[in-house]
Amino acid sequence: MRINVRTTLRAVLLASAAFACFNLASPVRAADEMTPERLLNAEKEAGNWLHHHKNYSGTRFSTLKEINKDNVKNLKVAWTMHLGGVEGGGIWSHGGLEGTPIVENGMIYVTDGWGSVYKIDARGGKGQMVWKMDPKTDHDWAGAIACCGVDNRGVALWGNLVVSHTLDGRLIATNKETGQVAWQRQVADPDKGEVITGAPLIVKNMAISGVAGAEYGIRGWIAATDLTTQKEVWRTHTIPAKGEPGSETWKDSNDAAAAGGGSTWVTGTYDPSTDTIIWGVGNPGPDWDNAYRPGDNLYTDSSLALDANTGKIKWHYQHTPNDPYDYDSVAENVLVDVPTPNGQTQKLALEADRNGFAYAIDRTNGKFLWGLPFVKKVTWTKGLDPETGKPIEYDPKNPVQRYNASVTPHRENKIADICPGNMGGKNWPPTSYNPDLKLWYIPVIESCNRITVEEATKDKLKAREFWTGGGPSQPFKITGSVTAIDVTTGKIAGKMETPFPNLGGMLSTPDLVFTGQPSGEVMALDAKTLQKLWEFNTGGGVNAPPVTFSVDGKQYVAILVGLGGAWDKWFIESTPELKKIQPGSMLYVFAL
Amino acid sequence: MKFSAITSTVALAFVIVSSSLASAQSAAPADPTDAGKAVFKRANCVGCHKWHGNGGGGYGGDALSLRKTELDRQHIIETVTCGRPGTGMPYFARGSYDTTKCYEMSRQDVGERMPPEGGTFLRPNDIEAVADYVLAHIKGRGEPTYDECTAFFGNTSRVCDIYKANATQPASEPSK
Ligand code: HEC
Repeated sequence: MRINVRTTLRAVLLASAAFACFNLASPVRAADEMTPERLLNAEKEAGNWLHHHKNYSGTRFSTLKEINKDNVKNLKVAWTMHLGGVEGGGIWSHGGLEGTPIVENGMIYVTDGWGSVYKIDARGGKGQMVWKMDPKTDHDWAGAIACCGVDNRGVALWGNLVVSHTLDGRLIATNKETGQVAWQRQVADPDKGEVITGAPLIVKNMAISGVAGAEYGIRGWIAATDLTTQKEVWRTHTIPAKGEPGSETWKDSNDAAAAGGGSTWVTGTYDPSTDTIIWGVGNPGPDWDNAYRPGDNLYTDSSLALDANTGKIKWHYQHTPNDPYDYDSVAENVLVDVPTPNGQTQKLALEADRNGFAYAIDRTNGKFLWGLPFVKKVTWTKGLDPETGKPIEYDPKNPVQRYNASVTPHRENKIADICPGNMGGKNWPPTSYNPDLKLWYIPVIESCNRITVEEATKDKLKAREFWTGGGPSQPFKITGSVTAIDVTTGKIAGKMETPFPNLGGMLSTPDLVFTGQPSGEVMALDAKTLQKLWEFNTGGGVNAPPVTFSVDGKQYVAILVGLGGAWDKWFIESTPELKKIQPGSMLYVFAL
Repeated sequence: MKFSAITSTVALAFVIVSSSLASAQSAAPADPTDAGKAVFKRANCVGCHKWHGNGGGGYGGDALSLRKTELDRQHIIETVTCGRPGTGMPYFARGSYDTTKCYEMSRQDVGERMPPEGGTFLRPNDIEAVADYVLAHIKGRGEPTYDECTAFFGNTSRVCDIYKANATQPASEPSK
């Protein structure tokens, strides 16, 4: 009903085609106001995709099933839309697309790598550009210190605003109807090596922002901005200040903590029942010279639970203490409730780490429950301690960890081959969880690479310059897989290998899983067997996750296509066939 | 071949026109190495060596410092033409190791150590221009300065702000 009214109103508006009639639009706007209630109950709007990760739990699971395993073979391109943002800047020769589209009542909101926001009307079986907001990102300022590409992962909705970030560190609120910037605020400081690539998470009246720059000597943080006052509510550093709990895990005399990394560039999740934000934290810096920063280096490579109102840390779980590999833990934590055999419910936070292990943590207290390798090859440790989940070689008495010492890069072993490679494992591309099947789908990079250590010294630490203590090279071929884990058993339920690493991420529906390949294919798999049921070659490189939505009662699958990011600059030698993939910038929308 | 010849002439013409425009406005003489600066940007030398030429470790491995390089004009030209076998330094001349040997090696001789191919191919005069630019503006220089930075980027971006006096504090304050 409501939709009918709105459509009629729109028809009236179009017919009159006069700006004088614009105030007629007010009831429309009211209907589309994004409220905290709607965000909490996003699942009730089955046809919409309101959150970056679909819902606060981060499952990226949609109940829509008009497209299913019996008819998915008939899926076809419904329409496409060319976008911009491919131009280069700083050290980057071009931008790419890593974003998750947000869909509300037939309107799609996407971003390009430089942070332009596009509103596209998807009604009537076709796509029409409504507006584009170009934030005029300072290409050279930001592009010179973006470690891993000209990237932006999408928007969030609040009130009548579209909320987004830019690579040069701004939080921008754009009027949803007009595409005009309502206000903006500098949250991150590129002069310190900070940039922003993630989508904001909206919790109540706050936009939560994370930061990138652990390769540039930042001290990471998560920050909350009050969207009504545009003021900062809290900012929690991921590396404690001197004297704060955790600061004792930085035992050096270099003041390494001040530039200790711990970035937060993947959008986190939120548990309303305990008012807790759960967010992943990146690697310590310098990445590969862990002797520069003896100690566990909290809270790098950790999942952090924060009180939503204050930003205070409730618990943390660290995966790779004193990391010598660049195995960050920025990945999203998927919040899942699983019944146990004795009739209780386990409240899990699931995280698939760059280090090749998948973890289930009790999200009420941060305690380790189970973990297992989800990649084919792990060499840096012999496994996880079944009690603590720490790598079994981990010894808290050692200030500098060597793990499986023969393969670990360090000052006396300057060239070392590690599996997984420093890119993971699993990088930012999101997982998806099917609550009916209790299967969790991980987009996997099956990899090894070579690390060359360069001893870091304090005089090498300079603002806006790499602070990595070495670098990776790519002498080995890298492939990928979709790996499914049964979260009731904590065991691998299936693995579908792919010729290329998974750089886009996952979407699941009741009986299907969707994903893509950087060689161009978008595909649908059987949710239980992971058998490939449908494939379409977009002719570009898939570097973004698919979403699904419905409009006018019809289901669509949408995905951004345009290879960018870190891969085609830093890791391409491991996948030489991908060198021929051209930069691009396009939205694909599929339907039966 | 013809096509690329035309495009680089056009590119060159554009550089000349735009730099003479700039000089007309500022009344300063045109820098004869501006064409080389344009090549430094267009061929993405800046992507690995950075605008200041210091390169540095990091995700891409080690692009050597062109500020500290000891190579002379001839060797810079050779390095850009042929890349450097067994490292990430690409070759930028069409036909290197195929129609023209590099370091007396063909593609077959260099084998596994074949350097990557540059993102753009450069003609001999482009390569000379970029070498002259490296010699005039990068080789032998000390720490990067604000003036060097704005000479490279112009002043529409905030990229050079940290080179202003007293603005070179690394990262965040250590403690609250
Ligand atoms: C893909 C990254 C990359 C690009 C692009 C690149 N270089 Fe290099 N360059 C390197 C690396 C890595 C080295 C170090 C090789 C070694 O270890 O000997 C290097 C070395 C050099 C050297 C030798 C320095 C010395 O002292 O031995 C010169 C000169 C040079 N580059 C100039 C250039 C110029 C001019 C361009 C643009 C036309 C360019 N490079 C583009 C990565 C790059």
